[in-house]
Amino acid sequence: MTASPSPAPRLDFADRVLSKLENALNMVAAASIFMLMIVATVQVLGRKLLNWPVPGYIDIAEQSIAVFAFLAVAYCQRLGGHVRMELVLDKFRGRPLWLAEAIQTLATLVLIAVLAWFAYGHFERAWEFGDSTIDIELPTWPSKLMVPVAFGVLFVRLGIQLVGFLRLIVTPDAVPVAVPLIINVEEMARAESDAAVGDDETPPSKDGSDSR
Amino acid sequence: MSNLEIGITVTVLMMVFLLMGMRVAFAAALGGTIGLVWILAGRMGFEKALFAGLGMAGTIPHSKSVTYALSILPMFILIGFLAFHAGLTKALFEAAKRWFGRLPGGLAVATVFATAGFAAVSGASTATAAVFARVAIPEMLREGYDKRLAAGVVAAGGTLATLIPPSAILVIYAIIVEESVGKLLIAGFLPGIVSAIIYAAIIVSFVSFRPGLGPRSQVYTWTQRFKSIPATTPIISVIFIIFGSMYFGWATPTEAGALGAFVVFVIAVLRGMSAGALRDALLETAKLTVMIFTIIWGVLVYVRFLGFAGLPEAFSVWIQSLDYPPIVILLCILAAYAVLGMFMDAIGMLLLTLPVVQPAVLALGYDPIWFGIIVVKMAELCLITPPIGLNCFVVSSVRPEINVQDVFRGCAPFFVADVLTVAVLIAFPEIVLVLPQMMLKG
Repeated sequence: MTASPSPAPRLDFADRVLSKLENALNMVAAASIFMLMIVATVQVLGRKLLNWPVPGYIDIAEQSIAVFAFLAVAYCQRLGGHVRMELVLDKFRGRPLWLAEAIQTLATLVLIAVLAWFAYGHFERAWEFGDSTIDIELPTWPSKLMVPVAFGVLFVRLGIQLVGFLRLIVTPDAVPVAVPLIINVEEMARAESDAAVGDDETPPSKDGSDSR
Repeated sequence: MSNLEIGITVTVLMMVFLLMGMRVAFAAALGGTIGLVWILAGRMGFEKALFAGLGMAGTIPHSKSVTYALSILPMFILIGFLAFHAGLTKALFEAAKRWFGRLPGGLAVATVFATAGFAAVSGASTATAAVFARVAIPEMLREGYDKRLAAGVVAAGGTLATLIPPSAILVIYAIIVEESVGKLLIAGFLPGIVSAIIYAAIIVSFVSFRPGLGPRSQVYTWTQRFKSIPATTPIISVIFIIFGSMYFGWATPTEAGALGAFVVFVIAVLRGMSAGALRDALLETAKLTVMIFTIIWGVLVYVRFLGFAGLPEAFSVWIQSLDYPPIVILLCILAAYAVLGMFMDAIGMLLLTLPVVQPAVLALGYDPIWFGIIVVKMAELCLITPPIGLNCFVVSSVRPEINVQDVFRGCAPFFVADVLTVAVLIAFPEIVLVLPQMMLKG
């Protein structure tokens, strides 16, 4: 399918399939943020100017939080977006580095499995008892369902990353596949400045030439 | 083991996870989950504790995230990403140049006030520094400014974004220490302006002594000055919306944030923002939003455990038992933050330490809102100090002709200015507290 053969085709395939799902979930989260902006604007203008507030606005806003607070969690993990300290890790190379990465990924995997399981229980109770919000009685189970769903996807993502790190422990010199790599502060700075394109400016050239 | 000993053991364990490169959010949640089970095991036996502890940990992500106050976060982040497309930076810089250009080091002073203005639509230091590195540095260099000064002022000016609302980090502080989001945001306003004025004063005095650093620029007439104002209307309206609605209680912080984002969105669309750019801004917003929420619930799992362990109370009691005046202890804490911040990301550092440190500082008799502003100012300081001051790397990355050591050196005067600002805020806490105290609604 791809132009150049992957060094780890099956892992690569799993990575790409899951990436599609993660991207879609991030898109849903992004859309929910846009919707919240619109609903809250209509609410404040309606309330102030027309004395016609959006019914159940607080309930809607609150329940929608679960969409953007959780759904993109695996997407963020794939891109290495969750903050961490790389102070010590940065000193390691090769096998010790991959070993440390594998251990911390495994620990996270176990944590997320446990949290997903019990978050599902939290959803199940809301579903069975028919919990609803105070004002317009929205059922709360859909928002509670977001947590186990998002953690489930994160679990699979962590599993793929764990396999990726284990592969590198076995063959430390192989090309890394499906794992987040440590980026140094200069690369981080470049990513930040590329994201913030000012007005009247052409985006910085992305010719790939290393300036340093 | 006593609860306190469990608290300390688990905290040490969490630090090991952190050093191994575990994501801050997950290390905190893992530490908290293990700690909850461990502490409950002493009360109800292991089997029951396992179920109760894990059940508690599994409920926290949803129950702590789904609170109305937190819905403001994506709104603020969105304003920041949309602001780049709303064509505000050039207009701000132009206006600031016409008004302040006559001062010694006028262009650098203009940069400070333009970044302060941009801070009103942005809560991100690094992004603000990146934008002004593109707009302001070339102009300063063209006019013969010292490149260190030019780079330093942009890197330091960027840090104003986190004090002046909208500011995500102040919202996070408010949530973690359970203070009013609105009050903290309003409280950041004056200290942000004071910071900018002190930056400007430092530039003026430096350049007065060494005029070679920044030649005087063109003089503008009053007509030219006033003509530059209309282009900055979007910024002024956003300040008016966010500040006004919270200060006078017209709207909740989320409503104000949403309305602010909507205004910037409309301006960006009018200026021809493409659908692709809007999509990118939203996707970036979603990514940053989930990152912040994850770290919030992760830390709150840990905080729940800390409460059981009684660690914050024990730390407070210990701090109070020290035979030093509160101000000495406060300065030690701030110095510790300055050092820690050299190696850790600001959000991670504040979230992990505040649950223990903040109650102790309150016990010393300091105001929680005031301490929030001071601590955020300290966290910002770390963005312009070596070895990993991100703002300096951002400036150097946008302007590869200025190497990062030069940016760090250029930041030195502003580091002094920041220390001065913190001293001023400690000496005159009213600067922080006057606006929140006058607010009509919490």
